[in-house]
Amino acid sequence: MALSESLRKQISDLVVTNRVVLFMKGTRQMPQCGFSAQVVQILDELVPSYETVDVVRSPEIRDGVKEFSEWPTIPQLYVDGKFIGGCDIVREMNASGELQKLIGVKTSDPKTPTITISDAATKAFAAAVAEAGGDSLRLQIDPQFQHELFFGPREPGDIEVQVNGLTLLVDRSSAPRANGLSIEFIDGPGGGFKISNPNEPPKVKQLSAPELKTMLDRDEVTLFDVRPENERAIARITAARSLDAAGQKYLLGLDRGTPVAFHCHHGIRSQEAAQQLLGEGFLAVYNLKGGIDAWSQSIDPSVPRY
Amino acid sequence: MSSHPTDFQGSVIDALREAIERQIPDSRAAVNGGGGHFSIEVTSPAFAGKSMLESQRMVYGAIAHLMKGEMAPVHAVDSLKTRTPIAPA
Repeated sequence: MALSESLRKQISDLVVTNRVVLFMKGTRQMPQCGFSAQVVQILDELVPSYETVDVVRSPEIRDGVKEFSEWPTIPQLYVDGKFIGGCDIVREMNASGELQKLIGVKTSDPKTPTITISDAATKAFAAAVAEAGGDSLRLQIDPQFQHELFFGPREPGDIEVQVNGLTLLVDRSSAPRANGLSIEFIDGPGGGFKISNPNEPPKVKQLSAPELKTMLDRDEVTLFDVRPENERAIARITAARSLDAAGQKYLLGLDRGTPVAFHCHHGIRSQEAAQQLLGEGFLAVYNLKGGIDAWSQSIDPSVPRY
Repeated sequence: MSSHPTDFQGSVIDALREAIERQIPDSRAAVNGGGGHFSIEVTSPAFAGKSMLESQRMVYGAIAHLMKGEMAPVHAVDSLKTRTPIAPA
Protein backbone atom coordinates (compact mmCIF):
# COMPACT_ATOMS: atom_id res chain seq x y z
CA MET A 1 0.00 0.00 0.00
CA ALA A 2 1.49 3.29 -1.03
CA LEU A 3 1.34 6.06 1.52
CA SER A 4 -0.80 8.91 0.21
CA GLU A 5 0.77 12.35 0.14
CA SER A 6 -1.85 13.78 2.49
CA LEU A 7 -1.33 11.04 5.05
CA ARG A 8 2.44 11.35 4.82
CA LYS A 9 2.09 15.07 5.47
CA GLN A 10 -0.27 14.46 8.40
CA ILE A 11 2.20 12.11 10.10
CA SER A 12 5.17 14.26 9.28
CA ASP A 13 3.40 17.30 10.79
CA LEU A 14 2.68 15.30 13.95
CA VAL A 15 6.29 14.33 14.53
CA VAL A 16 7.67 17.75 13.62
CA THR A 17 5.32 19.90 15.70
CA ASN A 18 5.61 17.73 18.81
CA ARG A 19 8.97 17.01 20.34
CA VAL A 20 8.09 13.60 21.74
CA VAL A 21 5.40 11.59 19.96
CA LEU A 22 4.33 8.06 20.71
CA PHE A 23 2.19 6.15 18.23
CA MET A 24 0.49 3.59 20.42
CA LYS A 25 -2.52 1.35 20.94
CA GLY A 26 -4.88 3.09 23.34
CA THR A 27 -4.20 6.23 25.34
CA ARG A 28 -1.60 7.31 27.86
CA GLN A 29 -4.17 6.72 30.64
CA MET A 30 -5.46 3.46 29.18
CA PRO A 31 -2.96 1.67 26.97
CA GLN A 32 -4.53 -1.26 25.13
CA CYS A 33 -1.42 -3.33 24.60
CA GLY A 34 1.37 -4.38 26.91
CA PHE A 35 4.13 -3.03 24.69
CA SER A 36 2.50 0.39 24.40
CA ALA A 37 1.99 0.37 28.18
CA GLN A 38 5.67 -0.29 28.81
CA VAL A 39 6.74 2.65 26.68
CA VAL A 40 4.18 4.92 28.35
CA GLN A 41 5.53 3.89 31.73
CA ILE A 42 9.08 4.77 30.72
CA LEU A 43 8.08 8.12 29.18
CA ASP A 44 5.92 9.03 32.19
CA GLU A 45 9.02 8.85 34.35
CA LEU A 46 11.05 11.04 32.01
CA VAL A 47 8.80 13.70 30.45
CA PRO A 48 5.95 15.64 32.01
CA SER A 49 4.04 15.89 28.77
CA TYR A 50 4.22 14.24 25.40
CA GLU A 51 1.92 13.58 22.51
CA THR A 52 0.32 10.19 21.97
CA VAL A 53 -1.53 9.05 18.88
CA ASP A 54 -4.01 6.22 19.38
CA VAL A 55 -3.72 4.10 16.24
CA VAL A 56 -6.64 1.91 17.32
CA ARG A 57 -8.93 4.88 16.72
CA SER A 58 -7.24 5.73 13.49
CA PRO A 59 -6.55 2.69 11.29
CA GLU A 60 -5.30 5.02 8.54
CA ILE A 61 -2.49 6.30 10.72
CA ARG A 62 -1.87 2.80 12.03
CA ASP A 63 -1.02 1.58 8.52
CA GLY A 64 0.45 4.90 7.47
CA VAL A 65 2.98 5.20 10.27
CA LYS A 66 4.26 1.68 9.64
CA GLU A 67 5.00 2.72 6.10
CA PHE A 68 6.30 6.14 7.14
CA SER A 69 8.80 4.69 9.63
CA GLU A 70 9.43 1.52 7.64
CA TRP A 71 8.74 -0.30 10.88
CA PRO A 72 6.05 -2.99 11.03
CA THR A 73 4.92 -2.79 14.64
CA ILE A 74 3.28 -0.41 17.14
CA PRO A 75 4.32 1.33 19.45
CA GLN A 76 6.66 3.71 17.67
CA LEU A 77 8.48 6.54 19.37
CA TYR A 78 9.59 9.76 17.70
CA VAL A 79 11.82 12.38 19.31
CA ASP A 80 12.63 15.62 17.49
CA GLY A 81 11.11 14.27 14.31
CA LYS A 82 13.39 11.26 14.33
CA PHE A 83 12.20 7.66 14.61
CA ILE A 84 13.68 6.05 17.72
CA GLY A 85 12.21 2.57 17.72
CA GLY A 86 9.70 0.23 19.28
CA CYS A 87 9.31 -1.15 22.77
CA ASP A 88 12.51 -3.23 22.96
CA ILE A 89 14.67 -0.38 21.78
CA VAL A 90 13.06 2.18 24.07
CA ARG A 91 13.51 -0.13 27.05
CA GLU A 92 17.14 -0.76 26.23
CA MET A 93 17.87 2.94 25.68
CA ASN A 94 16.14 3.80 28.96
CA ALA A 95 18.20 1.29 30.87
CA SER A 96 21.46 2.49 29.32
CA GLY A 97 20.69 6.20 29.83
CA GLU A 98 20.70 6.97 26.08
CA LEU A 99 17.02 7.85 26.06
CA GLN A 100 17.47 10.39 28.85
CA LYS A 101 20.26 12.06 26.84
CA LEU A 102 18.16 12.10 23.71
CA ILE A 103 15.16 13.65 25.41
CA GLY A 104 17.42 16.01 27.31
CA VAL A 105 16.45 14.96 30.81
CA LYS A 106 19.19 15.75 33.24
CA THR A 107 19.99 12.64 35.12
CA SER A 108 22.85 12.36 37.44
CA ASP A 109 24.23 8.87 37.56
CA PRO A 110 22.07 7.03 40.04
CA LYS A 111 23.75 6.23 43.30
CA THR A 112 24.88 2.68 43.86
CA PRO A 113 22.14 1.20 46.02
CA THR A 114 22.89 -0.47 49.32
CA ILE A 115 21.68 -4.05 49.26
CA THR A 116 21.87 -6.64 52.03
CA ILE A 117 22.04 -10.35 51.26
CA SER A 118 21.69 -12.91 54.07
CA ASP A 119 24.27 -15.68 54.49
CA ALA A 120 21.85 -18.35 53.28
CA ALA A 121 20.96 -16.29 50.22
CA THR A 122 24.66 -15.63 49.51
CA LYS A 123 25.32 -19.35 49.54
CA ALA A 124 22.37 -20.05 47.25
CA PHE A 125 23.45 -17.32 44.84
CA ALA A 126 27.06 -18.48 44.77
CA ALA A 127 25.92 -21.98 43.81
CA ALA A 128 23.68 -20.58 41.08
CA VAL A 129 26.41 -18.27 39.76
CA ALA A 130 28.71 -21.26 39.35
CA GLU A 131 26.12 -22.87 37.09
CA ALA A 132 25.17 -19.74 35.17
CA GLY A 133 27.98 -19.97 32.64
CA GLY A 134 29.28 -16.42 32.67
CA ASP A 135 25.99 -14.54 32.83
CA SER A 136 25.60 -12.09 35.68
CA LEU A 137 23.09 -11.96 38.47
CA ARG A 138 20.62 -9.17 37.73
CA LEU A 139 17.98 -7.44 39.79
CA GLN A 140 15.14 -5.56 38.13
CA ILE A 141 12.40 -3.60 39.87
CA ASP A 142 9.64 -2.10 37.77
CA PRO A 143 7.62 0.98 38.81
CA GLN A 144 4.94 -1.31 40.30
CA PHE A 145 7.66 -2.85 42.47
CA GLN A 146 7.58 -6.23 40.81
CA HIS A 147 10.99 -7.66 41.67
CA GLU A 148 12.86 -9.95 39.36
CA LEU A 149 16.13 -11.75 40.07
CA PHE A 150 17.64 -13.51 37.09
CA PHE A 151 20.81 -14.29 35.17
CA GLY A 152 21.48 -12.21 32.10
CA PRO A 153 24.23 -10.50 30.16
CA ARG A 154 25.78 -7.24 31.34
CA GLU A 155 24.07 -4.21 29.73
CA PRO A 156 25.37 -0.72 29.07
CA GLY A 157 24.63 1.63 31.96
CA ASP A 158 24.42 -1.18 34.51
CA ILE A 159 25.21 -0.34 38.10
CA GLU A 160 27.35 -2.84 39.90
CA VAL A 161 26.64 -3.69 43.52
CA GLN A 162 29.18 -5.74 45.47
CA VAL A 163 27.75 -7.69 48.40
CA ASN A 164 29.45 -10.54 50.28
CA GLY A 165 31.76 -11.21 47.34
CA LEU A 166 28.82 -11.36 44.89
CA THR A 167 28.32 -8.97 42.00
CA LEU A 168 24.76 -7.91 41.43
CA LEU A 169 23.85 -5.82 38.38
CA VAL A 170 21.03 -3.32 38.59
CA ASP A 171 19.82 -1.25 35.63
CA ARG A 172 19.64 2.52 35.99
CA SER A 173 15.89 2.83 36.38
CA SER A 174 15.75 0.06 38.99
CA ALA A 175 18.66 1.41 41.04
CA PRO A 176 16.84 4.14 43.03
CA ARG A 177 14.11 1.61 43.85
CA ALA A 178 16.69 -0.90 45.15
CA ASN A 179 18.30 1.18 47.89
CA GLY A 180 18.02 -0.46 51.30
CA LEU A 181 16.67 -3.69 49.86
CA SER A 182 17.45 -7.02 51.50
CA ILE A 183 17.39 -10.55 50.14
CA GLU A 184 16.93 -13.64 52.28
CA PHE A 185 16.76 -17.29 51.38
CA ILE A 186 14.15 -19.49 52.96
CA ASP A 187 14.68 -23.22 52.86
CA GLY A 188 12.05 -25.88 52.35
CA PRO A 189 8.77 -26.12 50.47
CA GLY A 190 7.29 -22.78 49.51
CA GLY A 191 10.68 -21.24 50.22
CA GLY A 192 13.09 -19.45 47.95
CA PHE A 193 14.51 -15.97 47.72
CA LYS A 194 12.57 -13.43 49.67
CA ILE A 195 13.02 -9.75 48.88
CA SER A 196 12.10 -7.00 51.31
CA ASN A 197 12.11 -3.53 49.87
CA PRO A 198 11.59 -0.51 52.13
CA ASN A 199 10.89 1.70 49.07
CA GLU A 200 7.83 -0.32 48.14
CA PRO A 201 4.63 1.55 48.92
CA PRO A 202 2.38 -0.41 51.31
CA LYS A 203 -0.26 -2.61 49.71
CA VAL A 204 -3.58 -3.90 50.99
CA LYS A 205 -2.90 -7.40 52.29
CA GLN A 206 -5.53 -10.06 51.75
CA LEU A 207 -6.61 -12.23 54.68
CA SER A 208 -8.55 -15.46 54.54
CA ALA A 209 -11.28 -15.87 57.16
CA PRO A 210 -9.15 -18.25 59.30
CA GLU A 211 -6.17 -15.86 59.12
CA LEU A 212 -8.35 -12.99 60.26
CA LYS A 213 -9.78 -15.14 63.06
CA THR A 214 -6.29 -15.90 64.35
CA MET A 215 -5.32 -12.23 64.31
CA LEU A 216 -8.54 -11.19 66.04
CA ASP A 217 -8.06 -13.86 68.71
CA ARG A 218 -4.58 -12.53 69.39
CA ASP A 219 -5.87 -8.96 69.39
CA GLU A 220 -3.49 -8.11 66.56
CA VAL A 221 -5.90 -6.20 64.33
CA THR A 222 -8.90 -3.87 64.55
CA LEU A 223 -11.74 -4.95 62.25
CA PHE A 224 -14.21 -2.58 60.61
CA ASP A 225 -17.40 -3.44 58.75
CA VAL A 226 -17.92 -1.12 55.78
CA ARG A 227 -21.51 -2.27 55.09
CA PRO A 228 -24.48 0.04 55.74
CA GLU A 229 -26.83 -0.54 58.70
CA ASN A 230 -29.47 -2.44 56.68
CA GLU A 231 -26.92 -5.12 55.81
CA ARG A 232 -25.42 -5.14 59.29
CA ALA A 233 -28.93 -5.88 60.59
CA ILE A 234 -28.98 -9.11 58.57
CA ALA A 235 -25.61 -10.48 59.59
CA ARG A 236 -22.57 -9.29 61.46
CA ILE A 237 -19.20 -10.38 62.79
CA THR A 238 -19.20 -9.67 66.53
CA ALA A 239 -15.69 -8.24 66.61
CA ALA A 240 -16.33 -5.80 63.77
CA ARG A 241 -17.00 -2.16 64.39
CA SER A 242 -19.28 -0.30 62.00
CA LEU A 243 -17.60 2.23 59.77
CA ASP A 244 -20.41 4.74 60.34
CA ALA A 245 -19.58 8.36 61.13
CA ALA A 246 -18.43 7.52 64.67
CA GLY A 247 -16.43 4.53 63.40
CA GLN A 248 -14.69 6.64 60.78
CA LYS A 249 -13.80 9.25 63.37
CA TYR A 250 -12.37 6.57 65.65
CA LEU A 251 -10.44 4.98 62.76
CA LEU A 252 -8.84 8.22 61.60
CA GLY A 253 -7.80 8.95 65.18
CA LEU A 254 -5.76 5.74 65.36
CA ASP A 255 -1.99 5.66 65.17
CA ARG A 256 -0.96 5.15 61.52
CA GLY A 257 0.95 2.01 62.46
CA THR A 258 -2.15 0.28 63.88
CA PRO A 259 -3.05 -2.84 61.89
CA VAL A 260 -6.54 -2.37 60.51
CA ALA A 261 -8.79 -4.80 58.60
CA PHE A 262 -11.98 -4.24 56.62
CA HIS A 263 -14.79 -6.52 55.61
CA CYS A 264 -18.02 -6.21 53.62
CA HIS A 265 -20.30 -8.80 52.04
CA HIS A 266 -17.90 -10.33 49.49
CA GLY A 267 -14.68 -8.35 49.84
CA ILE A 268 -15.06 -5.80 47.04
CA ARG A 269 -16.28 -2.69 48.86
CA SER A 270 -13.92 -3.37 51.77
CA GLN A 271 -11.00 -3.60 49.33
CA GLU A 272 -11.85 -0.10 48.12
CA ALA A 273 -12.06 1.21 51.67
CA ALA A 274 -8.72 -0.42 52.49
CA GLN A 275 -7.14 1.13 49.43
CA GLN A 276 -8.35 4.56 50.52
CA LEU A 277 -6.96 4.08 53.99
CA LEU A 278 -3.47 3.53 52.57
CA GLY A 279 -3.87 7.03 51.16
CA GLU A 280 -4.36 8.26 54.75
CA GLY A 281 -0.92 6.96 55.61
CA PHE A 282 -1.86 3.72 57.37
CA LEU A 283 0.88 1.12 56.98
CA ALA A 284 -0.75 -2.24 57.77
CA VAL A 285 -4.11 -2.51 56.05
CA TYR A 286 -5.93 -5.80 55.51
CA ASN A 287 -8.98 -6.92 53.58
CA LEU A 288 -11.09 -9.99 54.40
CA LYS A 289 -11.10 -12.01 51.21
CA GLY A 290 -14.64 -13.18 50.41
CA GLY A 291 -16.16 -10.91 53.06
CA ILE A 292 -18.63 -11.93 55.75
CA ASP A 293 -19.86 -14.66 53.40
CA ALA A 294 -16.49 -16.42 53.68
CA TRP A 295 -16.53 -15.86 57.45
CA SER A 296 -19.93 -17.52 57.71
CA GLN A 297 -18.79 -20.50 55.62
CA SER A 298 -15.48 -21.23 57.30
CA ILE A 299 -15.58 -19.70 60.80
CA ASP A 300 -19.06 -19.07 62.17
CA PRO A 301 -22.05 -20.78 60.51
CA SER A 302 -24.40 -18.96 62.91
CA VAL A 303 -23.79 -15.80 60.87
CA PRO A 304 -26.59 -15.80 58.28
CA ARG A 305 -25.62 -15.80 54.60
CA TYR A 306 -27.58 -13.49 52.38
CA MET B 1 -2.65 -16.94 23.73
CA SER B 2 -4.91 -15.12 21.29
CA SER B 3 -5.53 -16.58 17.88
CA HIS B 4 -5.53 -14.74 14.60
CA PRO B 5 -7.04 -16.07 11.38
CA THR B 6 -4.62 -16.61 8.55
CA ASP B 7 -4.73 -18.21 5.13
CA PHE B 8 -1.08 -19.18 5.40
CA GLN B 9 -0.31 -22.84 4.71
CA GLY B 10 2.53 -24.66 6.44
CA SER B 11 4.81 -23.85 9.33
CA VAL B 12 5.08 -20.13 10.05
CA ILE B 13 8.08 -20.80 12.28
CA ASP B 14 9.93 -22.47 9.41
CA ALA B 15 8.90 -19.70 7.01
CA LEU B 16 10.24 -17.04 9.38
CA ARG B 17 13.49 -18.85 9.97
CA GLU B 18 14.07 -19.52 6.28
CA ALA B 19 13.27 -15.95 5.26
CA ILE B 20 15.68 -14.52 7.82
CA GLU B 21 18.51 -16.95 7.17
CA ARG B 22 18.15 -16.48 3.40
CA GLN B 23 18.31 -12.70 3.50
CA ILE B 24 20.70 -11.87 6.33
CA PRO B 25 24.23 -13.05 5.58
CA ASP B 26 25.54 -15.93 7.71
CA SER B 27 22.65 -15.63 10.10
CA ARG B 28 21.09 -18.17 12.40
CA ALA B 29 17.55 -17.59 13.55
CA ALA B 30 15.73 -19.16 16.48
CA VAL B 31 11.97 -18.72 16.26
CA ASN B 32 9.37 -19.62 18.87
CA GLY B 33 5.68 -18.98 19.21
CA GLY B 34 2.34 -19.60 17.54
CA GLY B 35 -1.14 -18.16 17.23
CA GLY B 36 0.25 -15.21 15.29
CA HIS B 37 2.71 -14.20 18.05
CA PHE B 38 6.39 -14.99 17.71
CA SER B 39 9.72 -14.49 19.45
CA ILE B 40 12.76 -14.27 17.24
CA GLU B 41 16.44 -14.33 18.04
CA VAL B 42 18.92 -13.79 15.22
CA THR B 43 22.69 -14.07 15.35
CA SER B 44 24.71 -12.70 12.45
CA PRO B 45 28.05 -10.97 11.90
CA ALA B 46 26.08 -8.56 9.68
CA PHE B 47 24.84 -6.79 12.86
CA ALA B 48 28.36 -5.82 13.93
CA GLY B 49 28.67 -2.06 14.32
CA LYS B 50 24.96 -1.51 13.66
CA SER B 51 22.55 0.03 16.12
CA MET B 52 19.72 -2.02 17.56
CA LEU B 53 17.30 -0.05 15.36
CA GLU B 54 19.27 -0.86 12.19
CA SER B 55 19.67 -4.51 13.15
CA GLN B 56 15.97 -4.95 13.93
CA ARG B 57 15.09 -3.20 10.69
CA MET B 58 17.10 -5.78 8.76
CA VAL B 59 15.13 -8.59 10.38
CA TYR B 60 11.76 -6.88 9.89
CA GLY B 61 12.75 -6.27 6.26
CA ALA B 62 13.41 -9.97 5.77
CA ILE B 63 10.03 -11.03 7.14
CA ALA B 64 7.89 -8.12 5.89
CA HIS B 65 5.98 -10.36 3.47
CA LEU B 66 4.80 -12.49 6.41
CA MET B 67 3.48 -9.48 8.32
CA LYS B 68 1.49 -7.75 5.59
CA GLY B 69 -2.30 -7.53 5.57
CA GLU B 70 -5.17 -8.63 7.79
CA MET B 71 -4.62 -12.34 7.11
CA ALA B 72 -0.86 -12.23 7.71
CA PRO B 73 0.51 -15.33 9.46
CA VAL B 74 2.57 -13.11 11.75
CA HIS B 75 0.37 -10.81 13.80
CA ALA B 76 3.02 -9.63 16.25
CA VAL B 77 6.67 -10.15 17.05
CA ASP B 78 6.60 -10.21 20.84
CA SER B 79 10.34 -10.21 21.23
CA LEU B 80 13.09 -9.62 18.70
CA LYS B 81 16.71 -9.98 19.69
CA THR B 82 19.67 -9.47 17.40
CA ARG B 83 23.13 -10.58 18.40
CA THR B 84 26.57 -10.53 16.89
CA PRO B 85 28.38 -13.84 17.30
CA ILE B 86 31.28 -13.88 19.72
CA ALA B 87 34.45 -13.79 17.62
CA PRO B 88 36.40 -17.05 17.76
CA ALA B 89 39.56 -16.71 19.83
